[in-house]
Amino acid sequence: MSILANKDTRVVIQGGAAGVNAARRMAEFCYLIKRPLNVEAFVYPPDAGKTNEIPYGSGLIAIPIYKTIAEATKHHPTINTSLVYIGADRAMKGGMEALDDSHIKVVSMITEGVPEKDAKLLGAHARKLGKVFNGPSSIGIISAGACRLGVIGGAFDNLVLSKLYREGSFGVITKSGGLSNEIIWICSQFADGITTAIGIGGDAYPGTDYVSYLEMFEHDPQTKAVVIVGEMGGDLEERAAEWYGAKKRRVKLIGVVSGFCQESLPKGMKFGHAGAKEGMKGEGSARSKSDALKKSGALVPATFGALGPAIKETYQDLLKSGQVKEPIEPAVLPRLPKSIEEAMKADEVMVAPLIRTTISDDRGDEPCYDGYPASELINKGYEIPHVIGLLWDKRLISKQEAEIIKRIMMLSADHGPCVSGAYATILAACAGIGLSQAVAAGLIMIGPRFGGAVTDAGRWFKYAVDNMMGVDEFLAYMKKNVGPVPGIGHRVKSLRNPDKRVKELVGYVKSLHIKTPCLDFALAVEQVTAAKKDNLILNVDGTMAAVLVDLGFPVDSLNGFFILSRTIGLIGHWVDQKRQDSRLIRLFDYLVNYAAPKRREVPPLK
Amino acid sequence: MAKVLEGPGMGLMKKWGIHVPHYAVVTSADELSKLGHVNEWMKQTKLVVKAHEALGSRFKLGLVKVGLDLNSAVAATKEMIGRQVGSITISQVIVSEMVPHKEEYYCAVKSTREGSEILVANCGGIEVESNWERVKRLCLDVGQGPSPEQLEKLAKDAGFTGSIAKKMADFAGKMFACFDNEDAQYLEVNPVVTRESDGELVALDAVTLLDGDAKFRHPDWNFQFAAEFGRAYSKDEVAVMAVDSKIKGSVKFIEIPGGDTAMLPAGGGASVYYSDAVVARGGKLANYAEYSGDPPDWAVEVLTEKVCSLPGIKNIIVGGAIANFTDVKKTFGGIINGFRKAKGDGKLKGVKIWVRRGGPREKEGLDAMRALKDEGFDIHVFDRNTPLTDIVDKALQK
Repeated sequence: MSILANKDTRVVIQGGAAGVNAARRMAEFCYLIKRPLNVEAFVYPPDAGKTNEIPYGSGLIAIPIYKTIAEATKHHPTINTSLVYIGADRAMKGGMEALDDSHIKVVSMITEGVPEKDAKLLGAHARKLGKVFNGPSSIGIISAGACRLGVIGGAFDNLVLSKLYREGSFGVITKSGGLSNEIIWICSQFADGITTAIGIGGDAYPGTDYVSYLEMFEHDPQTKAVVIVGEMGGDLEERAAEWYGAKKRRVKLIGVVSGFCQESLPKGMKFGHAGAKEGMKGEGSARSKSDALKKSGALVPATFGALGPAIKETYQDLLKSGQVKEPIEPAVLPRLPKSIEEAMKADEVMVAPLIRTTISDDRGDEPCYDGYPASELINKGYEIPHVIGLLWDKRLISKQEAEIIKRIMMLSADHGPCVSGAYATILAACAGIGLSQAVAAGLIMIGPRFGGAVTDAGRWFKYAVDNMMGVDEFLAYMKKNVGPVPGIGHRVKSLRNPDKRVKELVGYVKSLHIKTPCLDFALAVEQVTAAKKDNLILNVDGTMAAVLVDLGFPVDSLNGFFILSRTIGLIGHWVDQKRQDSRLIRLFDYLVNYAAPKRREVPPLK
Repeated sequence: MAKVLEGPGMGLMKKWGIHVPHYAVVTSADELSKLGHVNEWMKQTKLVVKAHEALGSRFKLGLVKVGLDLNSAVAATKEMIGRQVGSITISQVIVSEMVPHKEEYYCAVKSTREGSEILVANCGGIEVESNWERVKRLCLDVGQGPSPEQLEKLAKDAGFTGSIAKKMADFAGKMFACFDNEDAQYLEVNPVVTRESDGELVALDAVTLLDGDAKFRHPDWNFQFAAEFGRAYSKDEVAVMAVDSKIKGSVKFIEIPGGDTAMLPAGGGASVYYSDAVVARGGKLANYAEYSGDPPDWAVEVLTEKVCSLPGIKNIIVGGAIANFTDVKKTFGGIINGFRKAKGDGKLKGVKIWVRRGGPREKEGLDAMRALKDEGFDIHVFDRNTPLTDIVDKALQK
């Protein structure tokens, strides 16, 4: 048996993230004792209508979220307990809502920093209704082998170590949340463990005091002794002593109180929980409480450290008198499934990776490009072209190569508003489309007819050079197998109106006196083609392609240089239109040749 | 519990219709003489000047001056402002009118488990303290207010008769209204006096303790709460409070000068048991500290640095119960960083560190602490199998 929380306890949790965390802990306990999850519903207006996914074993259970307690209990009429995880400023309203619902008999409030008056009103209201209001600032309530309310009991391993999977003989009542766990552990090591442990909260006026719970334990035959962990301040411990001393009680009472240090502290200095304050006339001191408990016949160890032996002594007496028997431990206990991460760390599973990368890794404190930390690259003077070299070709390029790439990018960053890419971005910007989508619209234009010939040009020039083809042989091959030579030809530029960008790039690369077989071949091709037709010149795509192939970049990466540098221009166009607050544009009718059939009658549908 | 100084305390009472003397809180003698030009009462009545700080025994310290005219009040203000008392520098004085009176009474409202209690006595000042049996009480359940009949009966029980009984009942009713509406935990007026000029009851002094947790519903609480232990907060204490106000969970730190055992335990409950154990073993606490509610590691690191900076410490007690949800590895990570920093700054020489803890990721956390030995720390680490406060016994063994 147990008190307050048992196998029939069905819970609604009021609150958001903290409540969900509590539900997870509660599910771990339910899994340990092989019972279904005891959380039926959440009440959290911002997420009403959704569900919270609570892990149970290796699966997930969807728990519905409602706007009000009334809705929750209407859909889940077995609910009889509410846990309140609402902020201090709204906690009273939430607690009252739960108390006023006829289904709910126990409300436990976890919220800290609740105004004293609110806590008193909640406590008084619960007493009037004959219900239990526990807290505020309560860590929770746990009945071994039966029910966990809140995070009390700690992590899964601790639940097992503290033998919370089966009933013992000791009841526990504490103000402190941390110490509740400590006492549960002590009871499991020095005795046979607990029946129920309750955190009543460290506030000055908890909704339910020791006496109410002692009375419940007195009527629970499984509970043979109760441990209370007190603090100075208030008179709850004195009231407990008074209850214990009033008549012969079935349960044994063991109690400790903290706050003796107060006697040697500077006047007025107070430690610990909100409720730990001494009265005006010295009442509520640790000593007066401790004396009251002793006088009532309770076992009062001198220090916290002596509590374990005191519990052991009580347990031995209970064994001797035959009131309790040595517990039988279950042979096998469920183990909490590990997450993949935990299992991998323990070398228990092998996972086939979904993707493989060879260029970068940001799992440390900063990204590494092909193994080099980004900050170190910066600090050693490397620049954007080097990062391109590392991420596109997995090598640290030279200063000279970096300079060529920089120039290529500067030359192809933009080409005015009229070309397909920029025009598409501007159209999108004027239609109010966002930056990434508008730039993507421009990038989509890059293809065989606009900017996308770099890769193909590089591929065929490289093919010719690798196969040591002559220009005529190459042109014949292209004519037969491919079509027009990519990288050759321009819509407006010609021999007489040369492309300055090409001249600039070729001039610079040539001035370096490096080996440029591809570029040389491309220029030789131009000699022949331009002689045939004035505008069949080596265009900027072809020039870039030849130079980049000569630098050793893989053919498949070549379009990337145009895409990357033109993105600079596209972003510029989008920002430019945004800055001007440009209006939506549409084509004028006179720019369209309406070659569609004249207006005609629609025939009847057959 | 949040203590409020006399000025704002009087302000709250005035708000609820209680007569208080004219008063002004000033920060300089100059300010007072300027106020004297425009406030008739300062010229027409005798004045009281009191240091407006969280100090006990102000009378003995010469920080209360009575029966002054404006010029003497300005002089007294000049003398008090800037005076150093312990760690407190007096920065404000409260100047109020002397209210000529013959009789002194007592009235208070205090919080009880059931609700509240109104206390009334027909004597006041020091007389009430030596005649506590003359104080009569009216107990009220929470949510319940006193009826005029109950209040009048209370006043009559306390020995008030005739018209003064009615006035006292009215005064106590207003005190309750102030207590209830302002989320007070304790209100005391001693003495309440009958003003000779008009026969009205006036509150000559105010002790006001408010519920700090209720601040969210009192936007007009524009005053600072005062330290409750008769001294100002130190720089390190203020630094930790600033961290505490920013984080989930909490970190707390109070210095106790002259101690040699530094405390760095977890949990509001366990921390006091650790302090008790130190005192019981004959040790001298150098501080109180506590972290709880799974605070971020950087907050625990700040707390650790402050603890390591305490002068003259010989032991540091890093104790804690078996945590429910505070991540031991993470919070210990903060403590370890703090220790390393302190050691780097030349602190912790000859200081022994004692650790005991349990809870989520306890093994990893305790292993990380043990590893500090290799870095030259004098550290002793124990797990849940060592009872809570045994590390204090080990640390303070003679």
